[in-house]
Amino acid sequence: MHILLIEDDINAASYVTKGLKESGHVVDHASDGEEGEQLALTLKFDVIVVDRMLPKLDGLSLINKIRKEDNDTPILILSALGDVDEKVLGLKAGADDYLAKPFSFSELLARIEVLHRRTNPEVKETSIKVGSLSMNLLTRQVFRQGVEIDLQPREFRLLEFLMKRSNQVVTRTMLLEGVWEYHFDPQTNVIDVHISRLRSKIDKPFNGKEMLFTERGAGYALRSDD
Amino acid sequence: MIDLFRLTSFRIIFIYIILLALSIGLVAFYLYWSTSRDFQMKVDNEIIQESTRLSQVYKRYKEVGLIREIQYLSKTPNPNLYILRDSNNKFIAGNFSDTDSLWNLKRLDKGGVLFSFEKKNNNGEIIRKYYFRGKEFIVRNKYNLIVARDVSYENYLKDRFFNTILSTSLLIIFLGLLGGYVLSRNFLNRISAINKTSLEIMDGDLSMRLPTSSNNDELNQLSLNLNNMLDRLNKLMIGMKDVSDNIAHDLRTPLNKIRTNLEVTLMSNPDSESYRETIKEVIEDVDGVINTFNSLLAISRVDSGSVSLKKEKINIKDLIEDIIDLWEPLAEEKGVVLNNECENDIFFDGNKNLISQAISNLIDNSIKYGKEENTVNLGSNLNKENITIWVSDTGPGIRNEDKEKVLDRFTRLDTSRNTSGTGLGLSLVNSMIKFHKGKIELLDAKPRGLIVKLQIPKN
Repeated sequence: MHILLIEDDINAASYVTKGLKESGHVVDHASDGEEGEQLALTLKFDVIVVDRMLPKLDGLSLINKIRKEDNDTPILILSALGDVDEKVLGLKAGADDYLAKPFSFSELLARIEVLHRRTNPEVKETSIKVGSLSMNLLTRQVFRQGVEIDLQPREFRLLEFLMKRSNQVVTRTMLLEGVWEYHFDPQTNVIDVHISRLRSKIDKPFNGKEMLFTERGAGYALRSDD
Repeated sequence: MIDLFRLTSFRIIFIYIILLALSIGLVAFYLYWSTSRDFQMKVDNEIIQESTRLSQVYKRYKEVGLIREIQYLSKTPNPNLYILRDSNNKFIAGNFSDTDSLWNLKRLDKGGVLFSFEKKNNNGEIIRKYYFRGKEFIVRNKYNLIVARDVSYENYLKDRFFNTILSTSLLIIFLGLLGGYVLSRNFLNRISAINKTSLEIMDGDLSMRLPTSSNNDELNQLSLNLNNMLDRLNKLMIGMKDVSDNIAHDLRTPLNKIRTNLEVTLMSNPDSESYRETIKEVIEDVDGVINTFNSLLAISRVDSGSVSLKKEKINIKDLIEDIIDLWEPLAEEKGVVLNNECENDIFFDGNKNLISQAISNLIDNSIKYGKEENTVNLGSNLNKENITIWVSDTGPGIRNEDKEKVLDRFTRLDTSRNTSGTGLGLSLVNSMIKFHKGKIELLDAKPRGLIVKLQIPKN
C-alpha cells in the first residue's frame, strides 16, 4: 500500500513511518500542510494520514483542497483533539476516519487497512461470504458449513462488522464505535466477552478450523478458514 | 496616633454630628425667637389696652382726672408701672418715683421703651436687677407718661433658654465626636486586624483566618465571606496537591513495573519469543498509564467546560437498554444480573456520550466491587424539575464516611486496593453530571448495597 503521512512532529512521523514500512507499506512523509497538498495532488496514494494541526496549511483546509480536486483517496485524521464533536467536524470536512492522539500503532494500522479496503467499489451487497461462513443481509440469516447459526441482533451486527473487514485486525475502539456507536472506552474490556460469545456460536460447534481470533494487544480478526 | 480624618467612619460621624447640632440649634433658636416675640406682643398689647383706657380717662376728665387715676392705680396692687412726669421731667404721679433710674431708658420705635433698675441694700450692693418694658406717651406736649411692666423673670427665662440651647449643642458635638472617635478606633482596630491577617495569608500561611466577632455587622459578614473563600481555596489547593500526589503515585507504580520488567528481561539473555512477551506486557502496562491520562484529561475537560459538548434529545430508556446490551455478557460471566427498571420512554436534552459513559462507569463499579450473585438495577423517572437515573446494586456498598471521598479523583477505598481500576471512574461520573448541572447522590440500599442517584435538571 502507498501511504502519504502528513505530520509535523518528527518523532511521531518517524515511528509511524517505521511501523508502516515494517508492515510492508510504502510511505511518503510531508512535514507541513503545503508540502502535503503538493504530494497528495501529484502522486497517487492508497491512503492519506493527516495531522489535524499542521504548519502553513491546517489539516481540515488541506482535506478540503484535496476533495475539491475530485481526489477521493481515503483520508484518516490524527488529532490531539479527541472529542466526539471534533471527530464529526473532521468527518464533515471530508475525512473518512478520525483517530485521537495518543493512539496505539496497531489501532492506526488497523484503521488504515480498513480504509484501504473500503474504497473498493462498494456494491450493495445482499450477502457476505468468508470461508465457510455466509451471511444473508436480507433474511438476517447466518450459516456455517450449511448449518444455520442463531444470533442475537447485536451479535449479528458484530459479525457483520467483522465479516466486512475479514482478514484484517479490528480494534476494540473500532468495534465500540462501529457496532455500539460509543465514543468512549469502558475501562473494563467488555468487548472480549462479546467476542467469546460470538466465538462459542460460530467456532465451537464446528470442530474445524477457528475463524475468530484475538490479536493480543491489538484487537480481533475474522479469518477465512479456507 | 490614629489619623481620625483618614477614616471614613469618623468623617461620616463628624459630618453627621455637625449637621445634628446645627439642626437642633436652628429648631431651638426658632422656638426661642417665637416665644419671646409672643411674650413681647402680649406685654405690648396689655400696655396698649391700659394706655387706651387712660387716654379715655384723660379725654373725659382732663389732666386732673388722669393724675387722680394714676394716683389711684399706684395705690392698688397692679402689675403695671406708671410714671407721669411734666415737661421738665419732674415726677407728678405713679408707683415708681425713682426717676433717676430712668437714665438708661432706651427708646424703641412706636414709643416703646426699655429700662432697668437696680435694687440696692443699705450698703449700696446690688441685690437684684429689674427689667421693664413699656410705652411712652406724650400728653399735650405737657406731660410724659410711661406705662411699663416688669419683665425680669421673662428675661431671666430667655437667658436660661439661650444658655441651655448653647450648652446642649456643645455637649452634643462633644459627645458625638467622642463617640465617633471611640467607634472609629474600634472600626480601625478591626480593619488593621484584617489587614494584618491578609498580609500573613499573602505570605503563604493559608491556614490563617480573619478575626470575626459575635455581632453580625457588615464587617463581620465580610470577614466570614473572606474566610469561606479561603476555606474553599485551601480545599482546592489541598485537592490539587492530592491530585498531583496521586498522579505521581499512580504513574510511578506502573512505570516501576515496566522498568523492572525490562531490566529483568535484559539481564536474562532470553530468546526472541520472551522479548516479544515482555514487549507485549509493557504495551499493556503503558496502555494502562495512557488510560489514566485520558480519564484525567476527560475529567478536566468536562470540569472546565472547555469541551463544546452538544446536547441532543435522549430517550433514557433506550440509552439504558443499549448500555445493558454492552455489559450484559460480561455481567453474566461474573454472575451479575442487570435489570432495566425503566417502564416508560423518558426524553431529555443531554450529551448522549457523557451520560452513557457515566452509567457505564457505574455498572463497571457495581460489577467490579460487587460479590457473586449481585443484582444491578438501572432505572429512571421524571418529576417536574428533574430526571433521576439510578444504578443500584446488592454489593458491599460504601460506608457513610467514605461517600464524599469516593467522588474525588484517585480515591480507591482500602477494600478495593486489589481490584484493577484507575480510581477515576466515579469522579468522571461526578464531572459529567455536574456538566449537566445535576448532582450525584450515594445512598444505602436495603438490606445492603449501594444506590447511585443521578439527578439532572430537565432544562
